[in-house]
Amino acid sequence: MTTRSIDRFSLASFALLLPIACATPDNGPMTGKDLASAVLGGYSIGGISLGAAAGAAKNANEAYREIPQDEEVEIGRSVSAGLLGAAPLTVNALQQNYVNSVGMWLALQSGRPGLPWHFGIIEAPTVNAFATPGGNVFVTRGLVERCASEAELAGVLAHEIAHVVQKHQLNDIRKNAKKGLMLDLASLKSGGLSGDAARAFARVGLEGYVRGLSREDELEADRIGVVIAARAGYEPYGLVSVLQTLQSMGQDDSALAFFLKTHPSPSDRLAALEVVMPPSFEQLTKPNPALARYAPAFNRTRK
Amino acid sequence: MKLSIPTVAASLLFWSALCSAEPAVTVRQLDLKQQPAGDAKAVATVTAGTVVDVMKREGAWVQLKAGGDTGWTKLFDIKTGSGSVAPAAKSSGMSGIAQTLNLASGKRDSSVTTGVRGLDAEMLKKAQPNEQEVTTLAGYASTPDQAQAFAKAGKLTPRTVELLKAAEPPKGAPTK
Repeated sequence: MTTRSIDRFSLASFALLLPIACATPDNGPMTGKDLASAVLGGYSIGGISLGAAAGAAKNANEAYREIPQDEEVEIGRSVSAGLLGAAPLTVNALQQNYVNSVGMWLALQSGRPGLPWHFGIIEAPTVNAFATPGGNVFVTRGLVERCASEAELAGVLAHEIAHVVQKHQLNDIRKNAKKGLMLDLASLKSGGLSGDAARAFARVGLEGYVRGLSREDELEADRIGVVIAARAGYEPYGLVSVLQTLQSMGQDDSALAFFLKTHPSPSDRLAALEVVMPPSFEQLTKPNPALARYAPAFNRTRK
Repeated sequence: MKLSIPTVAASLLFWSALCSAEPAVTVRQLDLKQQPAGDAKAVATVTAGTVVDVMKREGAWVQLKAGGDTGWTKLFDIKTGSGSVAPAAKSSGMSGIAQTLNLASGKRDSSVTTGVRGLDAEMLKKAQPNEQEVTTLAGYASTPDQAQAFAKAGKLTPRTVELLKAAEPPKGAPTK
């Protein structure tokens, strides 16, 4: 028997031992969605709060629960609203549509092609990119301006897609959210998160961007990202090129300051990619004149 | 976005910086090739730790200018100009040159972004949710069919590529 099923089993038998018919607590939160806490709230036996005990049991259970896709998407929507509150989308439909075309094409080659993927360029001159749970990916204008080709843009987007596929941000949010917040997901059944829960998820998600993911998560997203780009027909060195461009900007560049605080250094990432990218990848790099479409859409003059 | 004179000046500087060559150091001895291909003719040999200019990138290849020679080598054969010294350069006593390189790139870059306030920790901490922008974001979404058509127009064909395994960390390597 797994730990997870033990938790479920013990919670269920615990609940069965308790009186079902009871009055609603006067001032307890009565959502009607969380049967265990609603039934137990306000009662105590021998000085032990049964509500708290049941809450702890449910939280332990929650820690092992697989988050269904609709709940993940809802968390991602909340975090996206927060991020877009910090920096709005750029007003350029041509480029926004372009990024969505590249992004969706890449996502179709990823491990989670069925997510409601959305891609956006956000109005910031600095270099950064963000993914939320559920398939929202954002790149700053400053980073897009430093992508010299569609393959480079694809390298960046594929890295972010890999974070979503591996649920890096979702796991980070679960780890850092207050215990009760994950339980609020139950309110989804009546349509959407409550305003308070949505704001709380946005806060935890944005704090995650300030903290940054682990080096392991970042290097894993690099490894998976180059493969997603290669599977989509792009040459796999786009991300390598972008990382070299960022490396050449130098550590003192203010456009990189926040990015460098929250990511391993470009040099570290390049060294890790060099070790794992096989020589056979060089065969996947035939010039593709059809991708010259990138330059006019992004006002690029550089070859 | 409001266009101010400093913004225009900064973007002009930015574009001119992009269009000019980018400095780098070779991390190993290499042959500069006439074309970006392994079987192309070598035009010159460049030693490790040489300061070069990156002219352009193409797939796994990068075009360099080293002294009077121009040719192609692999992307991973160079370290683009940054603060740290390439390992090969260190061992061949190139720290002086690398330092010069660092100063040069630092000067170029600070002229581009000094005073530019971007999305930072403070802004993320203070952000208030913007639901309207989430709706706008959804409006730009591409359907799978549209993405397929976009790929076809770009002559992008899906292919099978194995996932890459994580490299074994070297003994004694820091975990963070």
